[in-house]
Amino acid sequence: MSSPLATALIDYLGALLLFTMIVILGSSQLYRTIYAVAAQSAFLAAAAAVLAIATRNLDLWVIAGITIVVKAVLLPWLLIGVVRRIGVKREIEPVVPTLLTLAIAAGTVVLSFQLAASLGAVRQTVTGNALPVGVALTLLGVLVMASRKTALAQMVGLFACENGIFFTAIAVSQGMPLIIEIGVLLDVVLGALVMGIFVLRVRSSVDADIADLSRLRA
Amino acid sequence: MPGAEAVLPALAQAALLVLLGPLVSGVIQKLKARLQCRAGASVAQPYRDLAKLLRKGTVQSDTASAFYRAIPPLVLAAVVCAAAMVPVVVLPAAGGFTLGDAILLVGLLALARFLTALGALDAGGAFGGMGASREMTVAPLVEPVLLLVVFSVATAAGTTDLGLIAARRASDPAVWHSPDLLALAAMLVLLLAETGRIPVDNPDTHLELTMIHEGMLLEQSGPGLAAMALASHTKQLVMMAVVGALFFPIGLAPRPEPLLLVPAALAFLGKTAVLALFVGLVESSYAKLRFFRLPQFLGMGFLCAFLALALRVL
Amino acid sequence: MIGSQSLLSWTFACYGAGAVACLLLRPARRLSVLAGHLGILAGAVLGAALALRVLLRPSAPVEAELPQLLPFVRMSLRLDPLSAFFLLVICLVGAAAAIYGPAYLASHGGAKGGSVRGTVQTVALALFVASMALLVCAADVFSFLFFWEAMTLASWALVVSETDDGEGTRAGLLYVVMAHAGTALLLVAFLVLAERAQAFDFAALRAAGRCLDDSTRTVLFFLALAGFGGKAGVVPLHVWLPRAHPAAPSHVSALMSGVMLKVAIYGIVRFGFDLLAPAAGPLPPAWGWTVLALGTASAVLGILYALQQHDLKRLLAFSSVENVGIILMGLGLAMRLARTGSALSGLATLALAGALLHAANHAAFKGLLFLGAGSVLSRTHERSMERLGGLARRMPWTAWLFLLGAAAIAALPPLNGFVSEWMTFQALLLGGVRLGGSPGLAAAFAASMLALTGGLAAACFVKAFGVTFLGRPRSAHTEKATESPLSMRLGMGLLAAVCLAVGLFPGGVVRLLDGPVRVLIAGPEPSRALTVRGPLVLSSGSAPIGSSISVTGSAALLLAIFAVGAVVFAWPRAAGRRLAPTWTCGVSPQSRFDYTATAFAKPLRLVFAALYRPRRELVRGEGSTTYFLTGLRYAGEVVDLAETVLYARVKHAVATLSRGVRARSTGRIHGYIGYVLLALLATLLLYGRS
Repeated sequence: MSSPLATALIDYLGALLLFTMIVILGSSQLYRTIYAVAAQSAFLAAAAAVLAIATRNLDLWVIAGITIVVKAVLLPWLLIGVVRRIGVKREIEPVVPTLLTLAIAAGTVVLSFQLAASLGAVRQTVTGNALPVGVALTLLGVLVMASRKTALAQMVGLFACENGIFFTAIAVSQGMPLIIEIGVLLDVVLGALVMGIFVLRVRSSVDADIADLSRLRA
Repeated sequence: MPGAEAVLPALAQAALLVLLGPLVSGVIQKLKARLQCRAGASVAQPYRDLAKLLRKGTVQSDTASAFYRAIPPLVLAAVVCAAAMVPVVVLPAAGGFTLGDAILLVGLLALARFLTALGALDAGGAFGGMGASREMTVAPLVEPVLLLVVFSVATAAGTTDLGLIAARRASDPAVWHSPDLLALAAMLVLLLAETGRIPVDNPDTHLELTMIHEGMLLEQSGPGLAAMALASHTKQLVMMAVVGALFFPIGLAPRPEPLLLVPAALAFLGKTAVLALFVGLVESSYAKLRFFRLPQFLGMGFLCAFLALALRVL
Repeated sequence: MIGSQSLLSWTFACYGAGAVACLLLRPARRLSVLAGHLGILAGAVLGAALALRVLLRPSAPVEAELPQLLPFVRMSLRLDPLSAFFLLVICLVGAAAAIYGPAYLASHGGAKGGSVRGTVQTVALALFVASMALLVCAADVFSFLFFWEAMTLASWALVVSETDDGEGTRAGLLYVVMAHAGTALLLVAFLVLAERAQAFDFAALRAAGRCLDDSTRTVLFFLALAGFGGKAGVVPLHVWLPRAHPAAPSHVSALMSGVMLKVAIYGIVRFGFDLLAPAAGPLPPAWGWTVLALGTASAVLGILYALQQHDLKRLLAFSSVENVGIILMGLGLAMRLARTGSALSGLATLALAGALLHAANHAAFKGLLFLGAGSVLSRTHERSMERLGGLARRMPWTAWLFLLGAAAIAALPPLNGFVSEWMTFQALLLGGVRLGGSPGLAAAFAASMLALTGGLAAACFVKAFGVTFLGRPRSAHTEKATESPLSMRLGMGLLAAVCLAVGLFPGGVVRLLDGPVRVLIAGPEPSRALTVRGPLVLSSGSAPIGSSISVTGSAALLLAIFAVGAVVFAWPRAAGRRLAPTWTCGVSPQSRFDYTATAFAKPLRLVFAALYRPRRELVRGEGSTTYFLTGLRYAGEVVDLAETVLYARVKHAVATLSRGVRARSTGRIHGYIGYVLLALLATLLLYGRS
């Protein structure tokens, strides 16, 4: 596959990734955010596959496969299991009003474009919009984590943030080395497992969400 | 007449949109019925409804002013005039006389909405006021999104004239660029909002707590109601034609010759069928949003359009 | 043919004659008021003729010297095309107000304090219009500031003379304080420039402005912007507007909203583009972006507050804030794009022409709306919309003229508001395309905010027209209302005709803008940049980019389809048409079932609650238990954000400072002499070394 075609395809996938990010930011139903982050991981795997074909790098195929299996299927399935066990489907009210979050998101994207422009001539594997979009996705993932109340929604934000980091890595270099990618994925999986168990335990014993526990006790 | 050769195709396309509008509504409601496992009314039912209404007499509220009788034909005229500005099957000749661009189209639709809301308040009573108040709350939130979508597409084409946008994008080898995906997402949100479909409004209900557009039509009857219904069918098809002109400008005939018109008409029917399918599926899969969640829904559309513009410009 | 010079002197002679005749004829009350207004009308007609002559035949500008009042002061007038354009606007609305005035004053102020109030208001009105007309023709600092003061004082007199309770006095006090604060800033700006120029006439100031260094130029511009912006009603200096404009008599409100704000815009334009412009090269970009940002904020906040008002005239006053914001958006973009190169100069012309045309359009339709509100007020003696209703059947002419004005201000085709907003949209889009990058994105965002204000304006005027004129009457006065007299309807009709004419034949009106734009920025003329294909078609840019619309064509099409539709759908049928009461769930309909103004705007209040910060008070009656209420009291209020955030704090700070200063005043003479000594020492230290 020629480089311009790969660049164009990765641009399209970047736009789709941004769209799923907007869905995560704006929707108040937990199910919808989990499906959106699963779709996001699937698009990311597709981008990795496109880059693998363009650069003929076998590692990227492995990463794409792992991303699909772990982040697009396993982790969302885990989260949905926890959601079903708890029985909470909709967030009552996020910490920051949704419209304000969307406005901050718009500003963040503009900021990340300025940042990418000011970085100057970065040696990019994939030119075009991929670097600013990757930076924007990372920052927006952190924004999701900061603006949500329930721990599950914050996990979704963490997944999205990691997706963003990986997309930035695709844009700048040829993806991260395999070891690092697997290490990061393991960290995320572990975090998800711990969070899931913790939430279930806390909910079953105290009947409150983690976000409500805000006072330290001696 | 200076612009006659340009105005006649526009009028013909507008007439086509008016005639096909009820058919598209019929197709959507048939699709919804099938998805709900019932037979549903036939696809030509809206035409029968219009014919029935035309035969009936009118009951008018005794508080209505003298202007009330003129509102339905005026609303229909505004929508049909807007329909004349969208390239449906024929692209306008380059450098020819143009009737209007996207901003004039939005202005005419706003005129139709203004008059409908006044008609609702004219009859007095709480239902009309409720419908008018809600419609005029949703409308200012929809217009910025529509304008940003038009701008993000017009930035590439350098003009807001819909025919010229379609012509330029059709001749461009890569019609689509990545920002168009986000702009299309925003436009689909707008399609649902402007045509009053779920999740923005429920076109089938007549309960005052759940309706926006239908609430403004409660006091209309007889031929006046037929005019308003025809106007809303036409407006729906106009919005679909705008989606086609902005994002899928393929298959449009460069000159009004019969040999080129047939495939162009088929392409238009195909695009409309796909959009009707989309609308029907969304209506059957989702519930209507609570009214005060609409700003967030439209805010997501605004963000999509803004990011589309940012991706194109930055 | 009368020479232009003599036409100029005749114009102002008519105003003066009107005022004098009114004073002389004081015993015969109605005759004096009539004579005064006739003088104003004659002056307005002559002034409009003069302005049209200067605009249509671009020859040397008309100059005149005023009589010398003070020894070292030379006052002169100079009517160049920019001044002529604003003079035309002033005279147009002045003529409509003069036709409208006598009947309004007779019906409205008839009972109490009749003849004195009528005479005072007529003389003050003549002074007001004349001083504004002289202001836009002023060619040196003294005449400018003299007529600026005269305009402020005349309008103050009109504001406080109308209402009998304290409302007019308080509004007048705030108005005069803020106006003089603005005048102080203007004084500083003018005097610094005059000091550089060592002369007081505008030609010398212009030459001096070319040689300024950039930081001085920017400081002077922002001083002038603050001074003129306060008079124009730019957020956050607009707080006097919603109090002063409703308190004045309605035709004066029409003049204040329609014309006085535009005179302030004239000041901004004159300073920014003419007096302070650098010799070559573009204007500093900070000016353009600041004006654009202020305009966007004024537009959005103005219309949001207008939506929540239930007093008809206050609603119209806030809507003026919005329209001034739209004008500033066009001006800001023009400042950013002017003289930056051939590609962008056509766009600067487009933006500037759009802003100036919107200034004229707003004068026309806001004047019409205020005259209509005055007509309603004089017949029903109710100002609050919550007690009006059903007036379309009782006052049909007023209702349909008001509807025309409401449709024009909501920027609906085919009226004039749409034309100027279309030009502003095109300028923002094409400017955004050409600028590219974040400035382009900012321009596109400003355009989306303009679309938001357009939608909100439509909502606001559906509410204003619908609650006032449609539905059922909500009070006894309203039920017995009758149509206003012919002269009031003629005044409104004049402005409505202007709205229609500018809307349907925009290409012809654009030709009038050639002169003003040529004075301000070099570049293509509006009639060449905008109307590529003749007077009925507006085009922006030239092929291959740019769009064109034909408002005339689409209006003709609209009319044709309406005719067909009326035959098909509204023709009387065999099945007939019968009248029946509105369905109100089986209960006999009353006016209480109709939606009130507050209810209509409530959803928007909830959507924009973050900007409104509405206050809500819910008080349960005495002796109420949880489930059984003896009474319930609800009060809701939306207070202007500028007042709570800015002015309350400023007032608090000033009061604290005053208390501190008062504590320092010892009351003994030694302390005061000590202060004088300190001031003397400080002055010597600062300025002693040369």
